[in-house]
Amino acid sequence: MTTGTGLRALAASVRGGHRSATEVTREALDRIAAGNGALNAFTAVTEQRAMAAAAAVDAARAAGRDPGPLAGVPFAVKNLYDVAGLATIAGSKIDRDRAPATRDAALIRRLTQAGAILVGALNMDEYAFGFSTENTHYGATKNPHDPTRIAGGSSGGSAAAVAASLVPLALGSDTNGSIRVPAAMCGVFGLRPTHGRLSRVGMRLFAASLDVGGPFGRSVDDVALAYDSLQGPDPEDPGCANRVPQPVLPELRRGIDGVRIAIAAGHFASQGVPEVFAAVERVAAALGASQRIEVPAAGVARAAAMIVTSVEGAELHLPDLIAKAADFDPKVRARFLAGALIPGAWYSHAQRFRRWYCQQVAALFRTVDVILAPATPYPAFPVGQAMMEIGGNKLPAAGHLGVFTQPLSFAGLPALSAPVAGASPLPLGVQIVAAPWREDLVMRVAAAAEALGIVATATPVPF
Amino acid sequence: MAEPFDPAAYVPIAATAVGLQIAPTDLGEVIGAFAVLARVAGPVMAFSVPEDIVAASFVPEEVTAA
Repeated sequence: MTTGTGLRALAASVRGGHRSATEVTREALDRIAAGNGALNAFTAVTEQRAMAAAAAVDAARAAGRDPGPLAGVPFAVKNLYDVAGLATIAGSKIDRDRAPATRDAALIRRLTQAGAILVGALNMDEYAFGFSTENTHYGATKNPHDPTRIAGGSSGGSAAAVAASLVPLALGSDTNGSIRVPAAMCGVFGLRPTHGRLSRVGMRLFAASLDVGGPFGRSVDDVALAYDSLQGPDPEDPGCANRVPQPVLPELRRGIDGVRIAIAAGHFASQGVPEVFAAVERVAAALGASQRIEVPAAGVARAAAMIVTSVEGAELHLPDLIAKAADFDPKVRARFLAGALIPGAWYSHAQRFRRWYCQQVAALFRTVDVILAPATPYPAFPVGQAMMEIGGNKLPAAGHLGVFTQPLSFAGLPALSAPVAGASPLPLGVQIVAAPWREDLVMRVAAAAEALGIVATATPVPF
Repeated sequence: MAEPFDPAAYVPIAATAVGLQIAPTDLGEVIGAFAVLARVAGPVMAFSVPEDIVAASFVPEEVTAA
C-alpha cells in the first residue's frame, strides 16, 4: 500500500483500490463542514457534484480504466473560475445575478480529466482587486495560523483552504501577486506560472495582460503534479501559448548542481520588516547562494504595473461602473473609478516601459538562472488594519503587500512562493523566480530547498 | 510654466468625459485614489524609454480556408 501524505500518495491509494474516491471526497466535505466556519474560505460547496464525480472515478477504476494521476484528489477553486451550474461571482455582488456557467473553466476541466474532484469555490477580493481577501460582500477569509489575521489575497480562500487542509489542492489567479502573497501568509506553496503558459478560458479576468491561473499545494511535489496536469495549449485562448507541456515532476530530483542562484538586492532588500529579508538569506545560505543581483528599475516596474492594472481592470468593468457603481465593494469601487480616468499616455508609456523592462530582465537571466526574493514585506496583519509603518513610513497595509511580487509578474516571470521553514510565529514566503518558460528551474530549486528542510508547509497535516 | 496637477479638478471633468457618475459620497475617495495613481505615474512617465521600443506587437488574425 502506498503511504505518505501528498497528492501522489493519495491518488495512488485510490488508483490501487486501497481507498475509494467516494470515501476521500466524503472526508474532505466533512472537513470543510467542520472547519470552514472559522475561516470563511469557501463561498460554495459543490457536494452533489463532488460525490457524483467521486463515484465516477471509483466506477472507472472498477471497470479497469486508469482514473488518472490525480484520482480522487479533492480540490477547490477561487470563485472567479467558471463552475458549471454556478454563477461566477468573482467576489462580487454584481455577478451573483449572472446566469450560471454552462461549463467548467479549462483548468478545472484539466484537473477533473486527471481524476481530481471539485468540491467548491473559494473566497477572494472583489474582482481580484486586493491583497487581503477582506471582502465586504462575503466577509474576510481568516488565516489558519491566526484567525484574527488576514489570509492575504486576492486568492485568500485558496491559500487558507490548503493551509487548513480543508483541501490538499486549490487553484487561484495571480495578476500582481494574488497567488504568491496569500501562499506566503498562509504558509503553503503557490505557483504563478509564466504569463501565457496556462489557459484562462472560463476565468473572470482582472487585468488581461498580467493574469495567470495557478495551483496551491502543501509540497513542491503536490504543486508539480497539479501544474503538469494543467499544462497544454488551448486554441480557445489567444493568450495561451502554443507550447507542448513541459512536465516538471520528472525534474524535481535532478538537484541544483550548475544552477546559478542569486539573491535579489536593491528594491527587494528594503521596504519590509527585517524578518522577511532574514528568511530569504536563510534559504539562500542553505542553497549555497551568495551572489546578489539588482533587477533594473524594479520600483518603476511596480509603478507601471499599477497603472496597467488599474486601466485594464477599469476598462473591463466600465459598463458596471457606469450603471451600478453602488454595488461594488466600497474598498474596490474608488480604485476602479480612478483607473477609468487614467490618461491614455500613462498607460501607453507604462506598456512601452514594460517592453524595455522585459528586455533588461531577460538580459539578467543570461548571468543567473534563478532569483530569490521575499514574497511579502511582512507577515499577515490583523483583519481590518489599514496602515503599516515600515522604516518610519506609514503605508497602506494591504496595498504595500505587492511591493516584491509586482515587479516580477510585470515581466511575466514564473515564480513560486515557498514557505520558509522556522519563520515564526507567522509564516513567511520566499519567491523562487526564473526566466519565462523555465518553471522547471523554479521547481528544481524549490525541491532542493524542501529536501534541505529550509522550505516546508508551516504545519504539515496528514491528509 | 504649467500649473501643478490638481486631481480634485481633473477627476470630475474626466469622469464626465467617460460617462461615469461619481456619487458625492465617493468623490473624495476617488480623488484620493487618483492622486495615488498620479504619484505612481510620475516615475513611470519620467522614465525615458528609447523611441524604438514599441509597447506590444500587433499580430493580425490568420484566416484558414474553410
